Amino acid sequence: MGRGIFLHGRTVRATLSLAAFFILGCGAVNNPALERARDAYNRARQDREIVGRAAVALDKARLTLERAERVWTEDKDVIEVEHLAYITEKRIEIARATARRRLAADDIQQLNPQRE
Amino acid sequence: MSTTLDTNLTRKRFRGRLIISLIILFVFGNSGCSAGKPPTESLSKAELDLRAASEARADEFAPMDLQSAREKFEASRKAMAAKNYDQARRLAEIAQVEAELAAAKAEAELTRRAAEDLRRRIDSLRGESERGSIPGPSPAAAKE
Repeated sequence: MGRGIFLHGRTVRATLSLAAFFILGCGAVNNPALERARDAYNRARQDREIVGRAAVALDKARLTLERAERVWTEDKDVIEVEHLAYITEKRIEIARATARRRLAADDIQQLNPQRE
Repeated sequence: MSTTLDTNLTRKRFRGRLIISLIILFVFGNSGCSAGKPPTESLSKAELDLRAASEARADEFAPMDLQSAREKFEASRKAMAAKNYDQARRLAEIAQVEAELAAAKAEAELTRRAAEDLRRRIDSLRGESERGSIPGPSPAAAKE
């Protein structure tokens, strides 16, 4: 009688694990891949070279990120969200490469009169 | 009288259920169709992007990205053949973006090299003209 069901060690542990599972489960509304893509986009958005020289490429990344956010909010489709997050990161890399190319092209334009 | 009422009720219920079933069928059928559509457009776009990347000399300047894009393209074709359309679409979209990245990296590298080349030539021209403007020892002085 002294060993009431709620005081039973195993029951307490099981109840606590269950509670933790639900609390963490409810709290874990973030998708790591989506978080990474969001961080990468925010970093790129603060890069003056990218914003100034590759605005269109960066905008494509933004559109893909928005799609990923929408799919995550509406469907919680992990596979599709991870896919879109990956594409967002690649689009940011494209924006970075585009900015590098434009910078080099500007250098060429500035150097050309010196050659004459 | 009550039999007629019963029959009417049964008919109404049947009609109601039929409508609900049709709606459910329509919704599921439609979602099934959109998910199972062969991604031929994505695959052709990926093929075009791969060709553009090769033309941009990505083989030379971004070989890893190009290789990865090619692998995704092949995997997408295999998934397509196996009628795994969702996977085929995702792989084709990745192939597209990776091919685009390979091209962008190759173009950036080519332009950077061109700028570097130009700078080097200007420096060497400048060096030559500077050497040319400094008067060298006269032939007479050289004889002495």
